[in-house]
This record gives sequence, structure tokens and C-alpha cells, in this order.
Amino acid sequence: MTTFLFVLLAGLAIGSAIAMVVQRNPLYSAISLIGVFIALAGLYLTLAAPFLAAIQIIVYAGAIMVLVVFVIMLLNVEEEEHKPLRMGYLTVIAILLAAILFGEAGFILYFMGNSPLEPLNPNAVGNASNVGLTASIGTGLFTTYLLPFEITSVLLLMAIVGAMTLARRVGLLRPTDLVVPGSQVLTRQTLDPKAIGDATEVESSTTAEAARVLGLEGVPHRREE
Amino acid sequence: MDWNTITSVGLKLLGINIAFVVVLMIVAYTVLAERRVLALIQGRLGPNRVGYGGILQPFADLLKFIFKEEIVPDKATKFVYFLAPFIAIVGALMTIIVYPFGPDVNLPVIGAVRLVAAQFDVSLLYVLAITSIGVYGIALAGWSSNNKYSLMGGLRASAQLISYELSLGLSLVGVVLLSGSLDLFSIVEQQTNRWGFGTTANIFLQPLSWNIFLQPLGFIIYLISAIAETNRVPFDLPEAETELVAGFHTEYSALKFALFFMAEYVNMFTVSMLATTLFLGGWNGPFVEQLPFLGVFYFLGKVIFFLFLYIWLRGTLPRFRFDQLMNFGWKFLLPVAILNVVLTATVYFVTMLF
Repeated sequence: MTTFLFVLLAGLAIGSAIAMVVQRNPLYSAISLIGVFIALAGLYLTLAAPFLAAIQIIVYAGAIMVLVVFVIMLLNVEEEEHKPLRMGYLTVIAILLAAILFGEAGFILYFMGNSPLEPLNPNAVGNASNVGLTASIGTGLFTTYLLPFEITSVLLLMAIVGAMTLARRVGLLRPTDLVVPGSQVLTRQTLDPKAIGDATEVESSTTAEAARVLGLEGVPHRREE
Repeated sequence: MDWNTITSVGLKLLGINIAFVVVLMIVAYTVLAERRVLALIQGRLGPNRVGYGGILQPFADLLKFIFKEEIVPDKATKFVYFLAPFIAIVGALMTIIVYPFGPDVNLPVIGAVRLVAAQFDVSLLYVLAITSIGVYGIALAGWSSNNKYSLMGGLRASAQLISYELSLGLSLVGVVLLSGSLDLFSIVEQQTNRWGFGTTANIFLQPLSWNIFLQPLGFIIYLISAIAETNRVPFDLPEAETELVAGFHTEYSALKFALFFMAEYVNMFTVSMLATTLFLGGWNGPFVEQLPFLGVFYFLGKVIFFLFLYIWLRGTLPRFRFDQLMNFGWKFLLPVAILNVVLTATVYFVTMLF
């Protein structure tokens, strides 16, 4: 039964993974990737790790892939067209890496004998059924592996702060400034109340930036009057 | 496979089927109840012609859905277009199996039976996982219809579900912290007799051991985010009729539309079941110990109360604007949910010390 489930889920995972790479429509690739994640969750279940299986679906299939699908839908990415390969040497490297991977797999299979499903050290399986339970994962994370766990969370926090810093505009905006997505062309009269009729063009993405370019930083904003 | 295994598997299948039939019947009549109650609120009569007081209306609706012409847009992405309703309905129905409908009961021939189809270590996480898959039904339906209104509806749905899933998950953490378990059945069992309220002389004090009295803030946060998760008024922006025709299901007709419609109501039912299980004591209530079958009625009664609440809200509240929805979710609900977790953990730790 377990072998049958393993073959079924592993086949599903590999098939979806191949489909993900081969598909030309990015949304189909995303759906295939969701299939991979669900098949992996099933594999975790057969390995007696229900907590990991649930988290796999919640985090990867439920959160990250929703964002990916969201972005694909928002940008309306068209189907990829046939283009001549730009970096030809990548093919050679890919074949080399694939050969190494297959070599490793063959090496492991050779030294494990004929039954790859049996664990190497039978004595280590004593309480294998408890390893995947929620309580033992929690205890492990907050006692033995506390430091790696905390470091990982700090790393994620750094990633969030970094993304915020990269996405933020340079300099602070006044509450009265107008922010328009993308760059725009403003006339001088929209920025300086005293220069009505002056249509000098300034390109910027906010009114504050345009004012800085024109040297009008101290002048009260039109909307403040 | 000996005889015992076969009977137990058969019993499980039977139980799952009974649960599905009961839930689907209640869902069908929720639609009728919604139309009648809304009519009552708005001073109309509502559908009352099919059968006595409209009692056969759900079946008439179903027949009409079956016999309607099926229209597929010419430029729709066919495969995804047909896949989306199935993801929606499967994601909605799959969670029913883990809810405990009642305590252990003695049946005449079979013996002691636990009224839950599947009980396992992480059933709460299972519910959250399946619910998070359900959003693909709506998002893909909006994308594949090749219609701007549908796409807007799908985008709104995915943005809204991502935003409110966080506060929904965090509002449940308080209950999990207190009960120390992710198994729904044991969470319900812990609400039977907390601080001796289940065994006092006055049996009507039993409700005081429910989780809602320990987690009032968590309950309110859960209720709000659950309404947002099911795309119901006042959070029904993915299908806002005034702006988007019908949102993500604009291009769906006949049975495929019926599947979306059913998925929405089954989702309402399952989030109500989760609220009942986690906060309102599940099947617990006075006299359940003497009459175990009473538990099923308590459970369904509490769920039906939540369904009534949904309809009531729909009759009284206007729709949010999208920026209001996002601001409310991220700037108010999420911080309050985090505060609830911190508060619960602190109080729990302090009471453990003394």
C-alpha cells in the first residue's frame, strides 16, 4: 500500500514538475507547480509527518503560489515565444549537472542494496512515528534547534525590511505631495503658486521631486494654501 | 484485509456520505432561508409558491440550473475555465470530514460510534490548508473567462483572501494555545467540563466552559475574517454587482455557475462549523451526557445560528470600498489579532506560574 502510494505521488510530483518546465503559458506552469506541492504534501503524509504536510500546503500552495498566480494575472503575461537560445553554454552546464545528479542517485541506490525503501539504520526508527507529530516538532524547534529557528526568522525579517527599503522612494514625502505611479511631466505652475502661466516642463514621479529639480523646495505647496 | 477492517472502512464511507447529504441539504435550504429572511427584512414575501411556503424551491432551482443552456465564451482558456468550478466545490466540500458532529453514541447494531468521519492529529491545520486551496477556484475562474470584469473579480478575491487569511489563522492561535492540541475532537472535548461548570447542580451553566468566554477577542476577529474569507456582505467585493456585473462568475452559466454558488454556501457552512467547534463548544450543551444524540442537534443548531447571522448581515450592511477593506484588514484586524495571541500567551504563562 505504502509503495503504491509512493509510486503514485512521486509520479504525480515528477510529472507536474516536468509539465511546469515544458509549459509555455506561465499560468499553466504555476498550476503545475501547485500540483508538485500537493504531491509533496502527500509524500510527507506517507512518511508519517502530517504537520509538515499541512504546513507545506498552507505556506507553499496556499500563500506563495496564490501570490505568483496573482502577479501573473495582474501583469497579464503573454505566452513565451520561441526564441534562439541566448546563452548556449548553459546547455552544456545543464547536461553536466544532470549527469552529476544521476550519478549521485545511482551511487546511493548502489550502496543501499536492492531495497531503497528500507532505512539504513533500523535502530534509528524506534520512535519514528512520533517524529512528525506537532508536539515533537514544536519541542524540537523551541529547545534543541532554537538558535537556527530564531536566526531564520531574523533572516526573513531582514528580507521584508530590505524589500521595503528597495521599494520606498528616496526622501520623505510631505503629506500634501501628489504621488503618481510612473513618471509624469508637470508644469512649473502646478508646483509654484507664484509662477502661474509658466509652463516649463519637469519630469518626475512626485511633485516633491519636481519641486526639488526646479529649486522650489521652500515654497509653500499649492494644496497647502 | 480481515472482516473488521472492511466493516470499519464501510462505516467510515457511510458516515462521510451521511455527513455530505446532511450538509448539502442544509446548504440547499440556507439558500431558501436567505431569500425568505432577506424578503422579511425588506418587507417582501420572497419565493413561497413551490410547495408549502416555498419548501421545494431549492429543487426547482436545481432543475432550472440543470436545464439551462451552457454558454462558453469563445476566447476563454478552456481547460482552466472548466477546472475552476471543480477546484472551488472540491475545496469547499473536503473539509466536512474532520468536524465532530457529536460525542460517542451507542447505535443498536454497530455499537459505540464516534460521530466524526476522520480524526487525526492536525485536523485544524487540514481545514486551513484546504480552505487556502479554495481561492484558486475563484482566481482561475476570473482569469480564464477572458473578461475584464471577471479578471477584476478574481484579482480582488485573491488579494482579499491573502489579506484576511492571516488574521483568521492568528485568531485561532489563541484557542490552540489554550487547548494545546490541533485535533478538533479533543478541542471540543475540553469544552465539556472546564472549571467544573459541566458537573455543577445547575446543568444550564455548562455553556460557561466554552472557549468563547476565554477568547472573546479571538472570536470576534475570527467572525469578521471568516465573513471576508467567504466573500459575503459586507466583504463581497469579488462579485460586487454594482461595479463588476457579477465578478468572477460573470461568464459562467448553468451547472458550472451552480457549482460556484454551492461552493459559496458550503464555505459559509464550514466556517460556521469551525466557529462552533472552536469557540461555541461544538456539540456541548445541557443534557448531552444523558442523551448523546442531543449533541448533533446542538451542533447543527449553533451552525444554523451562524448562517442566520450571515443572512442578517447581508440584509443590514452596505458593501466596503476596496481601500477600506485593505486598510481594515492590514492596519486594524491583523495588529489586534497579534495582540490577542500575545495577551493569551502572557496570561496563560502567568497563570501557569501560580
